[in-house]
Amino acid sequence: MISQAEFDKFVMDYNEDYTLLLKRAGNRHYDCLISAFMVLKDLYNVIQVIFDTGEYTYEVLPYPFSFRADDVLLRQLGFDDQEIQNIFGFLDHVKTTQGMEFEACLEAGPAAMCARVK
Amino acid sequence: MSQAAIANQIESHIPNLIEDWTAAVREDPRIQSDENLTKPELIDHVPAILEEICELIRKGETPAVRNSLEARANVYVRFHQGYTGRDLVRELSLLRITLLDYLMEISSGETVGLTAKERHDTAKIINLYLDEEMRYAISVFCGAASNVQDER
Repeated sequence: MISQAEFDKFVMDYNEDYTLLLKRAGNRHYDCLISAFMVLKDLYNVIQVIFDTGEYTYEVLPYPFSFRADDVLLRQLGFDDQEIQNIFGFLDHVKTTQGMEFEACLEAGPAAMCARVK
Repeated sequence: MSQAAIANQIESHIPNLIEDWTAAVREDPRIQSDENLTKPELIDHVPAILEEICELIRKGETPAVRNSLEARANVYVRFHQGYTGRDLVRELSLLRITLLDYLMEISSGETVGLTAKERHDTAKIINLYLDEEMRYAISVFCGAASNVQDER
């Protein structure tokens, strides 16, 4: 059983990492980004599952994991036009390099990426 | 008609569903939070929500915490757009009606009819997905309200 303070820390860490990964995408630093998003998605799911127990509250809302085609959200997070274009460019990059959509890639997990490397 | 075919049918109709839903939200006098939103801001995550629902229908998956990412994104954005919880619930209710009406339309179509079981399974996924979003929205909006009360 974790405390509310520990839960808050999870959310803060997640938000920090999420912003960092989007900044990397915004600057077209796409290397290994998909793997980083896979790890982060696990943390997001853990937060949501813990929150769903009803025993914790959000001091700060976790950023939504999905950012596809959502320039409203990306503008809320402070990204400019060029950065938003680069973030969406990352989704195209994943499709080109992995042969599947970003979401499918996350769902397939590292096994799919390893299969491509072989 | 397979679940995949139903999902494809709904997916191909997303622009029309969005139009119907947008009109319903704009015309509903009980929803006030949308007044200052542009059309893109109002539509925002709804196409992605419909795509995610179609994916669940295609796979026959039950909506839950881990496979309703777009629903959670929508709650986040609406919360930060200054929506009230009750307006978001009403908006989702209109989306549910739009989807179920279209399902009925497909179901009674002369070329692609659905069996009662197919319609039931699809409607169940639509309902559970939107219920999942409402559940999250209630937690988020109530949590925010109690935080405000604590500060007083």
